[in-house]
Amino acid sequence: MEILAGSIVAGLFIGMVLALVALGLTIIFGVMDIVNFAHGEFLMIGMYTGLLTAQSTGMDPLFTLPVAGLVGFLLGIACYTGFVKYLLRGPMIAQLLGTFGLMLFLRNLALLIFGSEDRALHHGALVGKSLEIGMGVIIPATKLAAAGLSISAFIAVWLLINRTKMGKALTATALNAQGARYMGIPTERMNALAWGIGGASVTIAGALLVNFWSVNPFVGLLFTMIAFAIVALGGFGSVPGAFFAGLVVGLITEIPGFWDFITYTFNVDWMAKVPMTSFKYMMVYLAYFIIMVVRPRGLFGWKH
Amino acid sequence: MKKSSFVLITIVTALTLILAMGSTCFAADAIKTIKIGVLYPLTGGAAAEGRELRAGAELALEIANGKFPGISMDMAKREGIASLGGAKIELIFKDHEGNPTLGADLAKKLILDDKVVGIMGCYHSSVTKTVSAVCEQYGVPMINDSSTSPALTEREFKWFWRTTPHDGTFTKDLFEFLKGLTEGKSKGIAAISKDQIQNLTAACEKTEWGSQVSQAIEGRAAEYGFNVKKSLLYAAKSPDLSSEVRAIKSVKPDVMLFASYASDAILMMKTLKAEKVAPRIIWGQNAGFEAPEFRNTLGDDVVGILTRTVFAPKVGQVKAVSNQINSMYKQKVGNDLSGASARSFTGLQAWTEVLQLAGSTEPAAIQKACNSIMIPGDQLIVPWKGIKFAASGKEQGQNELGSGIIGQYQKDKDGAITLEIVYPFDVATAKLIYPFKGF
Repeated sequence: MEILAGSIVAGLFIGMVLALVALGLTIIFGVMDIVNFAHGEFLMIGMYTGLLTAQSTGMDPLFTLPVAGLVGFLLGIACYTGFVKYLLRGPMIAQLLGTFGLMLFLRNLALLIFGSEDRALHHGALVGKSLEIGMGVIIPATKLAAAGLSISAFIAVWLLINRTKMGKALTATALNAQGARYMGIPTERMNALAWGIGGASVTIAGALLVNFWSVNPFVGLLFTMIAFAIVALGGFGSVPGAFFAGLVVGLITEIPGFWDFITYTFNVDWMAKVPMTSFKYMMVYLAYFIIMVVRPRGLFGWKH
Repeated sequence: MKKSSFVLITIVTALTLILAMGSTCFAADAIKTIKIGVLYPLTGGAAAEGRELRAGAELALEIANGKFPGISMDMAKREGIASLGGAKIELIFKDHEGNPTLGADLAKKLILDDKVVGIMGCYHSSVTKTVSAVCEQYGVPMINDSSTSPALTEREFKWFWRTTPHDGTFTKDLFEFLKGLTEGKSKGIAAISKDQIQNLTAACEKTEWGSQVSQAIEGRAAEYGFNVKKSLLYAAKSPDLSSEVRAIKSVKPDVMLFASYASDAILMMKTLKAEKVAPRIIWGQNAGFEAPEFRNTLGDDVVGILTRTVFAPKVGQVKAVSNQINSMYKQKVGNDLSGASARSFTGLQAWTEVLQLAGSTEPAAIQKACNSIMIPGDQLIVPWKGIKFAASGKEQGQNELGSGIIGQYQKDKDGAITLEIVYPFDVATAKLIYPFKGF
């Protein structure tokens, strides 16, 4: 029972962390129909921002989140106005290859500046702390904070889109950019804003992740692949979809735990020999594949 | 006719003589420098290790080409290769970026364009595999200094030799160490009951290296009578390892064994700490557990963790020559020799001795020298019995006299964390911390 409870809780928590990483990707896609391949690199920049700010000022890494958010917001806007805006004039393939190029550029720039070594924090209020909530379930403080931030960020973005004028303008731009322009909505500015918000949410996630994950210029790739799967599962452009898909993916990565639960509860010898942990990400992509075949617009997709 | 024939014969003879003299001159020129191609990962994910490897080889080169009478090594007392008229070695470094295909291309260029006498490298076992295949095809000798996949010397290659011990040897060392603990051989602690360390778990990253280590652990555990309760393979590039940690935690192991690269080793230890896991022994198969960032990032949490290695600065306490070379290295590079740099130093030292014995740069002569050389342990900075390559048999080309050491992170009097040697028991530099005190 301990194994089952531990796996469910861990799955939900890591799911929320992954959903937070995927949030920015879904916002940008939702508004502009453009897949940002450099999303993982934004995350990496967020991690370096958190790490370097904490190291240079001596402050707790938690307080670096606003700095990372600001860096991400400005970076998102800069990328849009200086680069992506021009890509939109070209065909879809130009947009795909363009953000792919941006990914390579940012990654190699980081390699040039920081080198390829792993760097990590070893101080901070959350680093190394954990909370025991009974039934042998232990939650690391960093994941608890990340989950809390994830829920807050999703609620904030949902409110922004559904309850504010700006959100309505963003939605209008997403649904029909030309129509929105006729209605006097500054779509260019809305696009820039989507990139800004998308950039800020992922760099904040990065600054939080650096509390328990070491950073190197290639770290983005680890998270981007899963973020893509989450966005596709939840439905491209759907904010609540990204959240729920994050939880689903989190629980899928815990299948080895559920497997162990059955193995030890019913004492099944052959099950103990199956190397389930080797397949945990394969199962995530299998779920992604099935959803793409059965329901191409994802669980909560609203775009056509 | 007679006159013209005479002139013709004279011209032909003169030309032959000139050509012969010329080729003698060229031959004399050729042995002024001996080119060796060296392939390391100088950029990419393993660039830090690549830099260490290069620095180690460069220090050995400086000693081989210069005269350092104060160092008790034959290589340091000669100036260049004495048997080749004092010829100097020249290293041509190439960066394979950890890419096996690129490694093979670079090896071809080194052989065909740079006309190297031999090859050294490549750290990544996967790159060594393709590079050694190229060397085998062209009949060019390759001495491998730093790749540990056992399969490399199980191919019966005629032009491939390896100085470093492989993972099979290292894993055997681990079980000899565990067995030794139950027999009371460890310095300063009484014999441990086997029940205390009977149950093991292994978590290894799932590329060729990790899966081979995992197999070796299971094989040796059965041989030595230990019980592997759970053995799993995981993706090193994974954003989360909590399900893996809970899987190994669920069987309540006494000893946890790992084969990890740097970032996953750090994440694994952080997750163990967060999940409040505290087995009696934690052992890592080198790589990530020996990386400087492992100790820098985890700080005091590494105290008590064991890792296999081939070199620790503490070897200097039992071997004067290691101390001398380590001081030179530290002065030059700014940090102590690592397992990587100590092995690249030793690799080039092996090349030097092989050339000295061969007295020629002909591949056949080098091959013969490799198959018959014996470098005694007192010449080496690593704590091996020496270097002697198996000339035939199942492990053809493998150094039969190499061995690993097991180090434990401990705090010294000044509070600094150092890697103390705890195995082999006879060269242990500190008392073993047992059991692991937890994070």
